[in-house]
Order: sequence, then structure tokens, then C-alpha cells
Amino acid sequence: MMGMNDAWLLAALPAGAFAILLIFGPYLPRRGDWLSIAAIGASFVLFFPVLADLLDKIATPGALPGLSGWNWIEYAGFKLRLGFAVDQLTIVMLVVVSFVALMVQVYSVGYMKGDPHYGWFFTCMSLFAAAMLTLVLADNFLLLYIAWEGVGFCSYLLIGFWNERRSAAEAAKKAFVTTRIGDVGLLIGIIMLWRATGTFDIRETFEAARAGVMSEPYLTTAVILIFAGAVGKSAQFPLHVWLPDAMEGPTPVSALIHAATMVVAGVYLVARTLPLFELAHPAALNLVTALGLTTVFMSATMGLVMNDIKRVVAYSTINSLGLMMVALGSGQVAAAMIYLFAHAFFKALLFLGSGSVLHATEKSDVRELGGLWRKMPLTATLFGVGVLAMAGIPPLSGFWAKDEIVLSSSQHQNAFVYGLIVLSVFITGLYMARLFLLTFTGEPRDRHAFEHAHEAPPIMTVPNVLLAVLAVVAGLVVFDQVGEALGFPGGIGKFVYLAEPEAFSFHGDVAAVSIIAALAGVLGAFYFWWGEAKPAKAAGARFPFVYALWKNKYYMDCLYQALIDRVVLVFSRFIAWWDRKIINDTGVNGSAALAVYSSFRLKFLQTGRLPNYAFAIILGVVVMAIVAMTVLV
Amino acid sequence: MDSGWLLFATIAVPLTTALIIMAIPSTYKQQVRWVATAAGFTMFVLSVIFFVLYNYKEGGLQFDLRLPWLENVAFLGKDGITLHLAVDGISVPLVLLTGIVIFCGCLISWNIKYRNKDFFILLMLLVSGVFGVFQAADLFFLFFFYELAVLPMYLLIGVWGSSTDFGTYVRTNGYGAMKLTLYLVAGSALVFIGILATFVEAGRGTFDLPVLGQVTYSETFQKTFYPFFMLGFGVLAGLWPFHTWSPDGHVAAPTAVSMLHAGVLMKLGAYGIIRVGMSLFPEGAEFWAPALLVLGTTGALYGAISAMAQRDLKYVVGYSSVSHMGYVLMGLATLNPIGVNGAVLQMFAHGVMTALFFAMVGAIYDQARVREIWTFGGLSQRMPRFVAFFAIAGLSSLGLPGLAGFIAEFNIFAGLFKTYPVFGALGILTAAITAVYILRLLAAAFFGPLNEKWAHLKEMRLLEQVAGAILIVFIVFMGVWPAPFVDRIAQSVLALPGIG
Repeated sequence: MMGMNDAWLLAALPAGAFAILLIFGPYLPRRGDWLSIAAIGASFVLFFPVLADLLDKIATPGALPGLSGWNWIEYAGFKLRLGFAVDQLTIVMLVVVSFVALMVQVYSVGYMKGDPHYGWFFTCMSLFAAAMLTLVLADNFLLLYIAWEGVGFCSYLLIGFWNERRSAAEAAKKAFVTTRIGDVGLLIGIIMLWRATGTFDIRETFEAARAGVMSEPYLTTAVILIFAGAVGKSAQFPLHVWLPDAMEGPTPVSALIHAATMVVAGVYLVARTLPLFELAHPAALNLVTALGLTTVFMSATMGLVMNDIKRVVAYSTINSLGLMMVALGSGQVAAAMIYLFAHAFFKALLFLGSGSVLHATEKSDVRELGGLWRKMPLTATLFGVGVLAMAGIPPLSGFWAKDEIVLSSSQHQNAFVYGLIVLSVFITGLYMARLFLLTFTGEPRDRHAFEHAHEAPPIMTVPNVLLAVLAVVAGLVVFDQVGEALGFPGGIGKFVYLAEPEAFSFHGDVAAVSIIAALAGVLGAFYFWWGEAKPAKAAGARFPFVYALWKNKYYMDCLYQALIDRVVLVFSRFIAWWDRKIINDTGVNGSAALAVYSSFRLKFLQTGRLPNYAFAIILGVVVMAIVAMTVLV
Repeated sequence: MDSGWLLFATIAVPLTTALIIMAIPSTYKQQVRWVATAAGFTMFVLSVIFFVLYNYKEGGLQFDLRLPWLENVAFLGKDGITLHLAVDGISVPLVLLTGIVIFCGCLISWNIKYRNKDFFILLMLLVSGVFGVFQAADLFFLFFFYELAVLPMYLLIGVWGSSTDFGTYVRTNGYGAMKLTLYLVAGSALVFIGILATFVEAGRGTFDLPVLGQVTYSETFQKTFYPFFMLGFGVLAGLWPFHTWSPDGHVAAPTAVSMLHAGVLMKLGAYGIIRVGMSLFPEGAEFWAPALLVLGTTGALYGAISAMAQRDLKYVVGYSSVSHMGYVLMGLATLNPIGVNGAVLQMFAHGVMTALFFAMVGAIYDQARVREIWTFGGLSQRMPRFVAFFAIAGLSSLGLPGLAGFIAEFNIFAGLFKTYPVFGALGILTAAITAVYILRLLAAAFFGPLNEKWAHLKEMRLLEQVAGAILIVFIVFMGVWPAPFVDRIAQSVLALPGIG
């Protein structure tokens, strides 16, 4: 019987598909897209026996976690293990990753049709699925880091999928380098924990930390460094700059990697290591909250003024990631994970919807769209569901999930944090509804594109419909009764939360505030952007400074570019110049020149005249005699 | 001992091949190529055999062969100077590395038309020297082979090399060859002094390394003479600030020589530090470890930062070699099993990776006749396989898990954190800088819209693809399944005095 110990198969199947596609892909019928889909489909199916086994074992104390793995290398007490384990956090990630990956790959059959590198796309998608599933199944930090880099590499390949475009090549590079900066911290943090505990195993590390093998400052430094990795991967301020640019990749990639799965790896990492954060100085968790909150606010405001449909959705993703971090900063794993779960579906839905628009019109700038409601009613409806879910309108999933976070911030954080979160709920409603209004309503602004628009083929709409259904109902899992009905004793919240079970509670006042904020946002969008969008233009003209600040992404891209051009590259040119001029031309060539010069000078001692030599001999004898006498006497 | 003669064969095959090629008239260019490639293949197969047959459970020196040369004369006692060949777990991966790189180097060099007979003769001499160093268990012959490996380099670069014009100044191949040779000869002068001093101090009348290893040298002697080995061999390992011969020399050299030189010869230096310096003088190694650590770290960071500013493809690779050899020296300086094991892994990982790098740079230079990064653009549309191969080398160098570089660097970093956490952090930072210059290079030269100037470029030659594929197989093999390497290396590292 398939159980938790076989969970590694979930990752191994797409990995096998990747290996076959890499070597034989070009010779397979349809370039092997079916193989990739079959592998991830099988992983999705295998998820259920794993879940059933977990639910069985959870009742028996001590049966968790289910472990399997192999020693990779071992010598002199240094053990690197490729170990897999399943627990509640992993289960949530597994279902999200395998299901969304399956939907996205099916959708891609339609979306990527006719692309010259069609086969390569599915090869990369399989590798990504393998790496992402490994990441969530890893029972130790080393394997987690390996998979972490693996998903980053897939993201690099897929953002740069159309690398003949300069912008795609640059975006891929930017994504890899930016996340790599966070990964410096992650790797240092992991090795620091190993140095103190002698193990890479995550649970053993927790036990050692609880036993107090690390001083508080040491542990705090280590967890903050680990958090740096999460900041890069989950696009938190100040390393969020890569995610909007990552939209250069094909849209299915944005849906899978840059919305539903890879970018939440940072959230998963913090949730996974939360016991360490809780043992460390409170500053660590406060930092998580502070950066999350900054991210929430900045991304919401930037989302208001962007014109690229995919980029607006990307800012909404950053916004959501920030919210999850705020929840984790309050120690609320369940709230963050439930949001992660619901978010995966409605965000994938939003991206696949924008993909359908892009596919139909070949335009992604909302200034060239408009009125598509009439041409693509199904896509518009599904996109609308996604928008309302993201905005947090009840009874869609986004509302329930977001309410958990709003509630936790109202209970565990101060009024400022709570106020900002509610404000961001309002702005989210504003920019999500704006996106919908500009794309699907009003008069078409580009006649040509509008004429060519058509509804997407079924292979693309069916995954969208399935995701939309989940976007509607997934949020209901917050109710303990629903969780019980699905077979989770005590409800999902209790199931997910590792340390102390927390029951889902519904506070009418908090919910009312967030509903009012979200509704106000959506209605506000109608006021600002309906029809000619005159009020929006007026508002932009009235506050040109704010508009420019948001439009230019708080000038952070400019700042980083200047830092690279003016500081990093200048410094590296200085070092290169130093190496060439000082070390080589002065030091190396100089000593050679000195040798040539001195031998040129000294050669004149060789006069060839006997009296000179005789004189030198006598002088030498006298000097030696004097030396000898001084020594002897 | 039959297996000992097998070891002798790796030295004899290239020497014999050199003699055979000498007998072939220089107009028979194709025959020369075939003979050289067959020899390269034989060496490759032999080195794989050693790697597989080496019994790591038993450990220690294996495939022992002793051919007495001079004994019981003058100052020499029993076993005075012996051609004593044997390999342990540290040398066996490096023998494998040499076999891989020489075979690929022979494949790459099929396009050499000018005096290819002389080229292959010198290449064979050089490689027999390299095998000799990795296998010698006698200080005299170790030095002899070391010199044999270094000297053909001068002619190979001087005759077949290329100059680089930077606009304001020119780095000629004559300059590169001269600087490289003078530097390495200066280094070997230090080594020679160290060897003679050790011989006299030990007073056993023998140059046999295992015998010399049993002698306990006084602490003062160790502290005084360890630097001769550290610096003398260190020069060849690209020890900062004696590294400038390396980028200039590698760039000036023809492709196969760059591959061998950066891939294998630089490892002779690091190997010498382990085999002679650390094995004989553990206390000296301990005393000087902080100095080696600081110089190694400086080299790693400095090489990476310099690479970022380079405009010539081959100079980027040249400086990245300085940077990666800096890791090796950092690993050696930890003097703990994890760091030293990582250093040896890195020697192999960097060897195959940089050989692939230079092979690819040669492939593009053959067609384009320039190496200026910013004049390219969009080459992936014309030469997808070439770009994929180059990218794999780059990804291994920036430490992507699944490729050889990661596992080596991970061991080094872990070893560093055990003893010197700050330097470990600097090492990890260097890996991030490596990512910056590699990814910038890939984006600028190979991706983006195709520069019409290069629309005529074709995919690289078949032999280049074969050579690249062989190197990639080993990069992936070590990256995915490092255990065969670690099993061999770790037990010999643990047997070193002063480690553990």
C-alpha cells in the first residue's frame, strides 16, 4: 500500500519525465507533452494515498513524521542525507503544487501550441515540478536548499524562455541574481545551524534549539539569515523587484511559478522554521512582520498605477505574499497556510485568465484593451471570479483566507499594523476591480486587437473553470465542520497548525470592517475607472508626485541599477585596473625591468682588464681578513 | 605487482606516443591526429580503471611500483632515488581528471593545422609529466615530473598561442608564455630548496615520500620550510598575489593547452601543497594556515570581482580560475577533514568545469575570431548546443546543486564554518558574485536579439560537441552522485597527519 514513506515518488515521477524529455524529447510524438502531464497527473493522484496515510498516522502519537531517504555522502561524521518526510505543512503544499501544476500544464498545451521550443517548455515544467515537490518534501535543510536552488534555476530558464527578446534575457538574469542574494543568507544560516547542532535534519535542529545549544543572538542571526532567503524567493521588500519583471516569461509560467508555487516557497520556509523563530529574539519575527507589511503596502500602491495586465496581477501576488508574511510574523501558521492554499487557486486563475486575453489579442497593456466582455464572456466571468476572490469579497475563498490574516493582525499586532492591513484590503479591491474594468468593460481602445479576439479553446478554459470552482469554494475549509467533513479531525486549522491547535473563529466586527474595506475598494474602482476613467486621470494629475513615485516603483529599480553601475561595476573595474596596472605592470613587469636594468649596469664591472680584477681580488682578501679578525679576536 | 605497471603505463603511453609521432612525417597530419587521439583515449580508459579499481575501503597507497634508480652511492642510502609510483584516494580523482581532460584536449585539437605534429609531441610530454606528479611517491621524481609538465608549456603557448589586443595595449602570446614560465620556474626553485632541505634534515638518505613522512621534523624546521612548499607550489595554484601569470597565460594558450593548464596543471600546485607540505610538515601547515586562508580568500574574492570587469570571454574564465583555486586554498587552510575533502573535490570539479569553459571559448573563437563579450548577442539562436554547454559550465561554477561545483563548495564552506565562520561567509559571498558575472556574460553574449554580424555562425564542430559532452557527463555525475569521489578522497584526507 502506498503511504507516506513513498511520498518521494511524487517528486521522482516528474524528475523521471524530465530526464526522458531532456534526452529523447525531440523524438517523441508531440514532443512529449503527454509524458510531462502524465507524470504530474500521477503525482497528483498519488497525493491522496499519502494524505490518507497521514490522517491515519496522525491519530497514533509518535507515528509522525513518515521518513524515507538515502545517505548522499557520509564521512568523518559529516552526513548529507537526501531525506523525505510528510507532515501537515507538506500536505498543504503538495496538493497545491501538484494540482496547479497539472492544470497549468494542461492549459499550456493550448497556450504554447506552435512555439518552436514547445518540447523544451514541458521539459522545464517537469524539472520544476520535481524540484518544487522535493522542496516541500525535504526533511533536512540541505535537500531543501538543493531544491530551492533548483526551482530558482527553473524559474531562470522559464522567465528567459523567449530569450531572443532582450527584456526576457535581462528579466531572467535579474530574477536569478536577486534571489541569489537572498540565498547567500539562506546558505549561511543553514550552515550556522549545522555548525551549532551538528545536523541538517530540520526536526533534530528544532530539538537541539529547544535544548538550548545555541545562544539567543546566534540563533537570531541564523534565523534572520534564513529569512533573507525567503525574502528573495517570496519577493518581499527590498528584494521584490524581480517578480514584476519575471512576467516576461510565458503566462503559464507566471501562473505556476510566480504565483501559486515557487514564490510561496519563502512563506513555506518561514512556516517550516517558525519554531526556530519563536525561540529566537522577538526581533526576528518583528522583522518578518515589518518587511511583510512594507511589501503589502508598497505592492498595493504600485498595483494601482501599472498598465500591464500581468504586472498588475504580479503586484497583487507580491501583496498576497506580504500578507502571508505578516500572518507568520504574528505566529499564525494556519492563517498563512490557508491563505497560501486559497491564493494558489485564484491567483493561478487570474494569470491563466490574463494568458487567455494575451493569447486572443496579443496585447497585455490595458490601455490597448477594453470591452473584451463581449468577445470572451467565459474568460471574463472566470477572471471576474478571480478578481473578487483576490479583493476579498465574500463568500469567495479570498475573503475567508484574508479574514484569517486580518483577524490575526487585529489580535496579535498593534493598531498600526491592523490599520495598514485594512487599508491594503481597500487598495486591493481598488486595483483588482480597476484591472477588470479596464480589460473587459468599456469601449475597445484597440479596434484591431478587439476584432481578432476570440474565446480560448477548451483545453485552456477547462483548467480555468476547475480553478474558478476552487477559487469559490476553497476558502470554506476555514470552517471546522468542512474540515471534519473532508476527513480532517478537528478541522483544517487544527490540522495545519503544528505547535498549539487554534480553532477557527469568526469575529463579526473584524469581518465587517474588512468586507466594508473591500467593497469600498471595488465600488471606488467603479467610480474612478468606469467608462472614460476621468476621476482617475484627475486624481493622477492632482498628485503628480505620488503618481510618479508609484509609477516608478518607488525608484527602487533606479536605485539598484545605479548601485550596480556606479558602485559594483566601478569597484570591479578598479580591481581589474589594479590587477593590471599595479600588480602586473608595476610589480611583475617592474621586477623584470629591474633585473634587466641591474644586469645592464652590473655588466660594466666585467671590464676584461687584468689590473681591475687584481684590485678586486686584493680588496676582497683585505675585507675577508678584517672580518675574520673581528670574529676571531 | 602487475597493477603497478598499469600505473607506469599512464606515463609510458604519452612518452611512447610522443616518440611514435616523432617518427611520422609532418605532412601526415591526419595520422598524427589519430595516433594522438588514440593515446588520449587509452589514457582516459586507464585513468577510469584506476578510479574504479582503487579500493577505498582499504585506503592508503595502492598500485605500488618501485624501480630503483640510484641507491647506496655518495649521500644516497637505501632506496635513495626510486621511481616509486603509487596512488591514494587524493591522487586517484586527479589522475581521472587528467585522463578526461587530455582525451578531450586531443579531440579539440583536431583543428590545429600549423605544425600539429610538434604540437602533439609537446602535449604528450606535458601530460606524462602531469601523470607523473600525481603518481610519484618519491620527492625527486615528483619534482622531475613537475618540471616536465611545466616546461613544454612555454613552447606550446609561444608557438601556437594567440595575442589579445586591448586597443590601448596588447598582451602577446610571447609575453604570456614568458611570464608563465618564469613564474612557475621561480616557484619550483622554492620547491627545490624545500626538497633538498627536507632530504638533509631527515637524514635517511632517501627521497622516498612514505619514508620521509615517518620522520618527525622539529617545529622550527617545519615552520621555516613549509612556506617554501606553500609558496612554491602555491604559485602554480594561482595563489594571490602571484596569480597574474594565470589569466594572461591561459588566454594566450591554444585551447587544448588552456584546458590542460587551468584544468589540470593548476591542481598540481594544490596537490603539491597537500602531498609534500601538509603530509610532511603538519605543524608548519598549522602555523601558516591563517596566512594561506587569507591569501586564498583574497584570491577567491579578488578573482571574482576582477572577472566581473573583464570584456574578453577568455579573461573572464581566466580570472574565474583564480577565484575557484582560491576556494581550494581556503579549503586546505581549514585543516579539518570537511574543508580539505572539499578542496580536493573542488580540484576535480573546477578541472572539468574549466576545461569545458575553455573548450567552448575555443569553439566560438574558431569561428568568430573575437572573444569580446559585448560584441556578441543572441548566439543561442545560431548555436544552441554551444550555449547550453557553456551555460552548464557557468552554472557549475556558480554552485548550482546537481552539478559538480556545488558539492565541492558546500564541503569547503562547511569546513570553513567549523574553524573560521567569517571566511566561510566570504566564500559564500564569492559564489554570489560568481553568479553575477556568469549570468551577465550569458545574457550579454548569448541571449537577446541576434546580432546580425554573427548570422553566419554555425553550431560547433562535432568533435567539440563530443569533448564537451564527456566533460558534462562528469560534471553531472559528480554533482548527482558524489559518493564515489568522497569515499576515495575522505579516507586519504583523514589519513593525513594533523587533519581530524
